[in-house]
Amino acid sequence: MIRHITLALLLIALGYGFWLSANFKEIAAGVALFLFGMLSLEQGFKSFTGGTLERILRGSTNRLWKSIGFGVISTTLMQSSTLVSLITISFVSAEMISLAGGIGIIMGANLGTTTGAWLIAGLGLRVDIASYAMPALVFGVVLLLQRGKVTKGLGYLALGVGFLFLGIAYMKSGFDAFQTAFDLSAYAIPGIGGVLVYTAIGMAITIIMQSSHATLLVIITALSAGQITYENALALAIGANLGSAVTSALGGMSANLGGKRLAIAHVVFNLLTATVAIVLIQQMSWAVDHLSAQIGIAEDDVLLKLALFHTLFNLLGVLLLAPFTRPLERFLVRAVRFEPKPMEQPRYLYPGALETPATAINALRKEVGHLYDNAYELIAMGLSLRPALIDSDQSLSEAVKMTRRIIPLDVDDVYERKIKSLHSEIIDFISEIQGRGLEEPAARQLYTLQQASRDIVEAVKGMKHLHKNLSRHGVSPNPVVREPYDAIRLTIARLLREIQQIRSQDPETVTSLSLDSLKLSSETSSQKFISELNRLVRARRLPARIATSMMNDESYTFEIGQNLIEAAQALLEPSSPRDQAIESKLALDEDDLQRLVDSTPEPN
Amino acid sequence: MTRKKLLNKLARFFDADRASQRKEIDSILKVTKKLKDKERDLRHKLETTAPGDERAELQGKLDVIEAQRHKALTLIQELRAGRNKD
Repeated sequence: MIRHITLALLLIALGYGFWLSANFKEIAAGVALFLFGMLSLEQGFKSFTGGTLERILRGSTNRLWKSIGFGVISTTLMQSSTLVSLITISFVSAEMISLAGGIGIIMGANLGTTTGAWLIAGLGLRVDIASYAMPALVFGVVLLLQRGKVTKGLGYLALGVGFLFLGIAYMKSGFDAFQTAFDLSAYAIPGIGGVLVYTAIGMAITIIMQSSHATLLVIITALSAGQITYENALALAIGANLGSAVTSALGGMSANLGGKRLAIAHVVFNLLTATVAIVLIQQMSWAVDHLSAQIGIAEDDVLLKLALFHTLFNLLGVLLLAPFTRPLERFLVRAVRFEPKPMEQPRYLYPGALETPATAINALRKEVGHLYDNAYELIAMGLSLRPALIDSDQSLSEAVKMTRRIIPLDVDDVYERKIKSLHSEIIDFISEIQGRGLEEPAARQLYTLQQASRDIVEAVKGMKHLHKNLSRHGVSPNPVVREPYDAIRLTIARLLREIQQIRSQDPETVTSLSLDSLKLSSETSSQKFISELNRLVRARRLPARIATSMMNDESYTFEIGQNLIEAAQALLEPSSPRDQAIESKLALDEDDLQRLVDSTPEPN
Repeated sequence: MTRKKLLNKLARFFDADRASQRKEIDSILKVTKKLKDKERDLRHKLETTAPGDERAELQGKLDVIEAQRHKALTLIQELRAGRNKD
């Protein structure tokens, strides 16, 4: 809600600004084009992250200097510390690189991002950069219209560069024109107060634009137009660094434990760097002047001096923190811990239920039903279908076909919290009942429900195996790969819906015999799936290697189905032993089912 | 009550097997009724479903119910035959 209101206010403020000043419109358009350019660059680099980048990343983080070097080089090349940070967070989260390695990359990325300031200050504002933007845009669009993934990626990169240049040009001309109308330098604040205020402004701008690069562009162009003083520009650059840490922290909060630790390390690093830079701003300013003279930067070239200051204070941060990377890692591992989510508690198992066999069996039946409901939710989500959709009348085949993304799901976590914990409570309760001695038929009912609980757990374990490949191939752009997985998802989804419908009916009108038809359809779906796979392999449309993986997944699907049917059968069992005996006599055995499968016409 | 009727009642009271068979048949008939109701619903659905996967699925369910009802009928016949032999 607050997000929506903030967005609406921002849009209104921008609209009002555009109406008020044509120059503001030009500057804002420059920022927008620059940000769009960065997005295109990110998109382009993502096309190449299918293996090479990951391989290099893994090989470059076994030593701290390598990690820092990787951070510097990759950010310099990509001109996006956001992309480097995101990839690093995902690698640390997956424990493919250590937290210390991740911290090294983040430090390097902070240093690498300062090359942006050099590019903008040294090149962007000195040549007619817009004239370079046009060919880049044309080449970008031509490449983007091609089919190949790599060519498309190159197209995005060219477009990214084009839009970056165009954005810089618009910003420059906007600020130049702005200068004639307003003089923002009149609002310059001297002294430490000015440093703090402008640091806060720089941070706010970066948080809003989600890019320290864009903030630096604004700072440098405003400085070149004389709209801000050199001293205030230095403070804004410090603020930009802090803002990027806040952006990263916000992103890291939604990541797992490793991601959170890395995000905190990023904040610690940038906060420390900013504090040192603010405290030593006079000394650093002197160092910049001194170094500028050494490397041939003119006395009045404040743009390059700002770029030098940006690099120097980030370098100082790296030098200060690099020796403490391991202690910082140890501290984060100790301080930031996994907070276990609450385990699912049983709803019906309480000591009072053990008073009589009938109440105990009834409570147990309900609890196994509760376990089934949890498994139902987990399996539905594992199929990337919302339980509400399966409960509805919507077409399942349409829903499966229209799935565009896999719902993120930590199957192991949900299994531990909602299935295993409850199953353990059920087993505990059953052993309590058994300790009190039970007569037939209650003992048999107890056994059936225990078996049902195990069947449910087995079904979920099947889903755990299946989920890996479903996540990988479930929305594959290749129809030969996707369609078999669509068939698997549809088979399980139909089964879940059928069982839910049967379970929701009045027990007086429903019989567990209805589940026999599910056994039949499970059997026919399995045979149809295998014969379709064989056909694809014969036609050389599907490599045998992939087909065998699919066959394994089909086997999990079949097991999930069988286990769920068995569990539902136990839950629907009539209470009277005579009725139970009759239903088991009328239920179709394997031979009966095979006869029906054989008589089912072959699919076209 | 005549003596004959009284004797018949007593015979039924002491013939536990016969009573058990009767209850078993009642139980089968109860399940058969549920199956019949389900079959009626499915046939109704089948009439309004176009040929395709869904129709084949419905037909499969009907085949299963038919097989189950056939089993029920055989069981009732066996039980009745056993009772008549006595």
